[in-house]
Amino acid sequence: MLYWTYIAIVAILAVVVLVELVNERSWKRQAAMAMVLVVFILRVLQIK
Amino acid sequence: MQKHHISALVILAAAAAAAALAASDFLQMRHPDNLLASPGLTTVRQLSDYAPWLKGTNGDTRIFEFDSGIPGGTLLLLGGTHPNEPAGFIAATVILENIRVEQGRVLVIPQACASGFTCTDPFEGAPMNFSLEGRSGTRTFRFGSRVSNPLDQWPDPLVYSHYPSGQQLSGFETRNLNRSYPGRPDGTFTEQVGNAIVELLRQENVDLAFDLHEAAPEIPIINAIVYHEKGEDLAMSAVLALEFEDMRYAPELSPANFRGLSHREWGDGTNVIPFLMETSNPIQGRLRGRTNADLIVKGVSDGYRRALESGVLRIEYEADGEPLSRRVGRHVQGFTALVNAYNEYRGERPIVISNLPSFPEVLSNGVGSYLN
Repeated sequence: MLYWTYIAIVAILAVVVLVELVNERSWKRQAAMAMVLVVFILRVLQIK
Repeated sequence: MQKHHISALVILAAAAAAAALAASDFLQMRHPDNLLASPGLTTVRQLSDYAPWLKGTNGDTRIFEFDSGIPGGTLLLLGGTHPNEPAGFIAATVILENIRVEQGRVLVIPQACASGFTCTDPFEGAPMNFSLEGRSGTRTFRFGSRVSNPLDQWPDPLVYSHYPSGQQLSGFETRNLNRSYPGRPDGTFTEQVGNAIVELLRQENVDLAFDLHEAAPEIPIINAIVYHEKGEDLAMSAVLALEFEDMRYAPELSPANFRGLSHREWGDGTNVIPFLMETSNPIQGRLRGRTNADLIVKGVSDGYRRALESGVLRIEYEADGEPLSRRVGRHVQGFTALVNAYNEYRGERPIVISNLPSFPEVLSNGVGSYLN
């Protein structure tokens, strides 16, 4: 159960980062958020 | 569409491409290595045959059976208990791909901790695989993690309490197969794998069992044969025979109060006589330096060379490195010596094997020469 709670938290954080990325005006900050997003996506998909 | 939306789309596309590339690399580790058994192979089973709850999970692994058809004893050989100890699973693969069984039965599990082969250890910068030139071309093997993949068992507790002894270890060890024996069917993922192996030992009435490992050059128990007290005579006889071949192995008695290890729990809980062997592997040590596939195969580490020359550390490291061929050769030679000792001292259920290379042959021809 704890495992799936963790995955759900990571999924929610990924959505939050995605929304922030789309609304962010600085491309440098968008790039930083994208790097964070890659890790979250791989974790949500249980690839890594 | 505003300007920052366009940049967001471009950056997201780049991130998606990076994620796809990384995912492709990570997913490659889930493909089992190609193992080409010798012509004497009679059956391929799965560990889940002894523990149906493992079927379809990363805990299931192949068991190769060589049955001579002539009554005798039964031997189990495990490699890959720790998938970051390549001489263990490559030695098991060399035996799998060359062995002839003249009497009795031999069961080989080359990659015991199948889950650990699907990832690497975090923060170690370890390569995901390495290649050897086999008889029929290049063979690639995964270099995995010491423990089960956290995708299969998570989270780790702060303190791991071994079942059933209650012995306490670091939380990380909860995913270590060689701390999880005898395991339990309804335990953690790794305990379930350990329990399946113990069930196999019982159901197949195994007489003699081996668990092949490696350790960092600075670990005291390397180039060693760890034995349960049931097999003390066999260990001493084998060590003596190996001394005559100019090979030094340290006999180490399995500590009675260090629970969860194969050489302790297999011996206490079943009829088997267990042995665990260790070689010296620079890629596992703290002084290793650049961590890549070359270090696995050639075993040359400038850090360990300097440590050896300094004379201030007690390490097992040869000046020209610790190549995989030497480490695998040691395991195969030690294995052969212990089987010979078993047949000499416990002759009522013989296990007669042939066609395995000797240490000098593996060292001079290279380990790849003994892979199909």
